[in-house]
Amino acid sequence: MSDAQHPTKPRPVVQPWAQPFWDAAREKRLILQHCEDCNKPIHYPRIACPHCGSARTGWRVASGRGQIYSYTVVVSNAPSAFVADMPYVVAVIELDEGVRMLSNIVDCDPQQLRCDMPVEVTFEQLDAEFMLPKFRPLT
Amino acid sequence: MSSNRGKTAIVGIGEIPTGRYPEQNAISFALDAARMAIADAGIAKDEIDFVIPTTAVFSFQFSNELTTCRLVEELGLKGVSANTTVFSGGSSSTNALRIASALIETGRARNILFVHCEKLGTGVSTQGGIDLFSTAGISMEWEVPYGQHYSTVAALATQRYKHETGTTDEELSAVCVSNRKWAELNPNAFFRKPLTVAEVMGSKMLATPLRAKHSNMLFDGGAAFIVTSAERARNLTDKPAYVLGEGGAVTHFAYHQEPDLTRFGWAKAGREAFAEAGITPADINVAEIYDSYPIFQLIAFEEIGLCPRGEAGAMHLHGDTWPGGQLPTTTDGGMLSKGHTGAGGSVSLLVEAARQVMGRAGQRQVPNCRFAVETAVGGTYMDAQVTILGNEIP
Repeated sequence: MSDAQHPTKPRPVVQPWAQPFWDAAREKRLILQHCEDCNKPIHYPRIACPHCGSARTGWRVASGRGQIYSYTVVVSNAPSAFVADMPYVVAVIELDEGVRMLSNIVDCDPQQLRCDMPVEVTFEQLDAEFMLPKFRPLT
Repeated sequence: MSSNRGKTAIVGIGEIPTGRYPEQNAISFALDAARMAIADAGIAKDEIDFVIPTTAVFSFQFSNELTTCRLVEELGLKGVSANTTVFSGGSSSTNALRIASALIETGRARNILFVHCEKLGTGVSTQGGIDLFSTAGISMEWEVPYGQHYSTVAALATQRYKHETGTTDEELSAVCVSNRKWAELNPNAFFRKPLTVAEVMGSKMLATPLRAKHSNMLFDGGAAFIVTSAERARNLTDKPAYVLGEGGAVTHFAYHQEPDLTRFGWAKAGREAFAEAGITPADINVAEIYDSYPIFQLIAFEEIGLCPRGEAGAMHLHGDTWPGGQLPTTTDGGMLSKGHTGAGGSVSLLVEAARQVMGRAGQRQVPNCRFAVETAVGGTYMDAQVTILGNEIP
């Protein structure tokens, strides 16, 4: 429920060329864009390859595994829509494919988190349309 | 790139004290600062032929008025050929100076007035400020849905930097203490009571390892400066703040795309600026380092070459950056102690850099100050910008 104390969570403002990413996430699959010409992985999805400029891009299923490049546990002064979630963890994940994502670390003891810790993808329902890829420590 | 070393100079500065002015309209901050800068330069108001306001984040309507020439009319400037806003968040001052210098070097303008004003201290609520900055410069598709905001932006850099360099929370907190020691001497700063490392480390945790006193607060404020040619500058004063070198590096939009959250683009920006200026970091007498959070002051300080990586924290802890220290740093008190006024954070630092090389810094004056380096950066630290000013041309 949305009210003054608990405003609605911000939803991803989706660019058309990123729609396949969100469609896959809804089915709990993490996919990554890549360039069909230079073969480099791309994230976040672009209208054309940011490396070689090619407009020929495609999608591959990602390993779903990576490492925590950096993280923080939010305990106060969060944006309004996230106040009820505190404490929550924001992290930059370096995926095994070599691209980075911003996400949350869930299903964890925040005290145990460390830089370079291995993590794996999990999915959390945001609303009827969106499933957000998140990460948890790899056990 | 050809060198523009010493072809233009800042010859006048104006600034109102950073504070909370609920009863006043922001236009008065801009007009007061602009009038001070024109008087300080010693030029007639109608000699101003180009006006560059920057955006005031608190109000789109108000910023539109600045873009549509309100300052020209309110100040009664009769000789203005163009008025155009330059805005790149926290690096607006540097980009305005870069554009102003280019206009003067090419003969497109003679005397340029840059003005900043902001009412973030009383124009928006505290939670409104947090919410505003949870989307400003943060990707609406890839970061906002995960609760990214400026505390997490700073905390993510801090955590990784600590991991790679071994810098301690005590050393990070010492940045706040160092800047406060300068603010104690600055009548235009908001926070002027002495501060200790223990007080910083005892303040409320926001987003680990970032605490409340590691965080800037938003205020009202305004500042302005006048840029002219080196020839004109020499006729106006015997100590102009010559623009000796500039460098920059845009490295990301979405924060997680930054290749190195412990370095950003500072090394390239610093190399360019020092090369153009024809001096080295060892020649610098005062460093005005963009400090919205302690981590960013440490990173920029190291990456532009003022000390080896991982040693800036100890320098701030042991007094090297304090009044009387070997490298006075962020001598206006910075956003951490003078107060954050939106794009004004780096305007204040650039004005202070000019003030120091012009020899007008009062109690804060660094003795025999010939060369100042100033850093500025916008958004989520996306565009490292370095400017070198001096009262002589090497």
